[in-house]
Amino acid sequence: MATGPVDNWLNLDTFGAIYPFIGTEVLLAILGYAFWIIWHIIQIKRENAEFKSDIENINRQGGPGKVLEDEARREIEDQVGQ
Amino acid sequence: MDNELTALGIIFTEFYYWVTVVFMFLIHVGFCMYEVGASRYKNHTHTLMKNTMLIPLVTITFFFFGWWIYFAFVNGPWIIGPLVDAPWATPWSELMGTHMGAGVHQDTLTVDDTAFWARINGVFWAAFLLFSWTAASIVSGAVIERIRPSAFWILAVVIGSFTWIIDASWGWSWNGWMVQKLGYHDAYASGVIHAIAGGFALGVLLVLGPRIGKFRKDGTPRNINPHNPWLVTIGLFLIYTGFWGFYVACNIPIIDVYGSAMLDVEGKSFFSATNIYLQPTTLSAITFNFLMSLSGGLMVAYLVSDGDAFWTYSGGLAGVIGASSGNDLYHPIQAMLIGGGGAFLAYKMHYWVENKFKIDDAVGAVAVHGYAGFYGIVMAGFMLWGYPSSPFEGYATISPWGNFIGAIIMFFVLGFVPAWIVSKILNGAGMLRIPREIEMVGLDINYESSRAADADEVAAAIREEAGAGS
Repeated sequence: MATGPVDNWLNLDTFGAIYPFIGTEVLLAILGYAFWIIWHIIQIKRENAEFKSDIENINRQGGPGKVLEDEARREIEDQVGQ
Repeated sequence: MDNELTALGIIFTEFYYWVTVVFMFLIHVGFCMYEVGASRYKNHTHTLMKNTMLIPLVTITFFFFGWWIYFAFVNGPWIIGPLVDAPWATPWSELMGTHMGAGVHQDTLTVDDTAFWARINGVFWAAFLLFSWTAASIVSGAVIERIRPSAFWILAVVIGSFTWIIDASWGWSWNGWMVQKLGYHDAYASGVIHAIAGGFALGVLLVLGPRIGKFRKDGTPRNINPHNPWLVTIGLFLIYTGFWGFYVACNIPIIDVYGSAMLDVEGKSFFSATNIYLQPTTLSAITFNFLMSLSGGLMVAYLVSDGDAFWTYSGGLAGVIGASSGNDLYHPIQAMLIGGGGAFLAYKMHYWVENKFKIDDAVGAVAVHGYAGFYGIVMAGFMLWGYPSSPFEGYATISPWGNFIGAIIMFFVLGFVPAWIVSKILNGAGMLRIPREIEMVGLDINYESSRAADADEVAAAIREEAGAGS
């Protein structure tokens, strides 16, 4: 069993590609494209869910104004060490 | 690779580009620090991730199609000729992997070409790729704090792996149609990186709109100052450092300018570094001019901004960018003066455009890269008027009109227009801008809420301890 064309390093001047599974390049390219597109799809779905959850979180805390007021209070508390 | 001199030349070239890539990595480190420093506390994590994740996305897409576009699109295609074969640059080419250089697997490649690309392909690809990251990262800074990361990453792929590499194919290669027909000269990428990225950023900004609170009801702008000026400073210093690698990567380190593939002057040899157009230059020349144009930019920006640190540093960049088109040939004092002009123009144009068109460019990217880059191309057209644009016979000479048309192509045709169209599509699908409530409280709201809950608990624990008298 051998995954690539190299079984010794004696005839280096005759070596071309030496990675394993030579001949699968087109399949690898298709897999690469799929990985890229699927990544974007998953990321967009997760971002939509994150923003939905963010808005719920903001509303639960009383709206953007209240969140900012609380954040300002905490900043002051952080600075005085409480 | 069977004699020492050939091997030395090829492996030196391989190592040379590899070193430039490591240097250019610092540009991205600098951009990340700069953006986080310029953004507000409530957006830090998302700002950082927005810029970081363009690295893998542009990298893989540049492997999938960007590299092939560079070689295949030199004629337009169909502006002066058809698509060109580039069998070493397709993602399924054996030469896009570990290869020892023997064997000719594609009909169109010679034995020598196979051996050459086997060694150079990866490092040459990476040098161009780091330019791609830079182009996308320039846009990233302009749109902070209100663009959806998902939208930005799509736009990053558009400029990083598609539009900028088309412009490089057209105007930043030895046989691009803009070089052949317009005499376009842009040796260190005032246009092919900076003007296109500035134009692209402007196209996105026009659709995206300003940050909440940026403009008063009467339309006058408010300053949203950098959260951490020191981080911005160090970021810009790192960008300067990476810029050295960028300049060196724009050269070909050593070839015989009289070689048979070029001027075909029999019996003569002249080994030299060349620019991307295969015209001889030296590292000394570009070192003089890099530093002198940086200095001109810094000095003028300091004066015009009354010593404002943010604009003084940015003016240094605008100085280099303003002179980059011709920095292979300028005298150092010319580079200094032209660089100073770039900084002046960037500063003045930024505020004029902001006031007139209500464009919120958070880091001045459109001005520093776009306007200074545009100016740099136009200046090179005048300064190098009549110089040959190439060592090859039959190419147009450098001229003001050739470079002016080139500047329009870079900034508007390949920068502004594609960005505006893609942004309009994303905006129409509700995918461009983050929801208003989230923009108000900050993108890091979930992270901050969890941090806040912990902080409240710690504060309560401290109060309890204090109350117990311990």
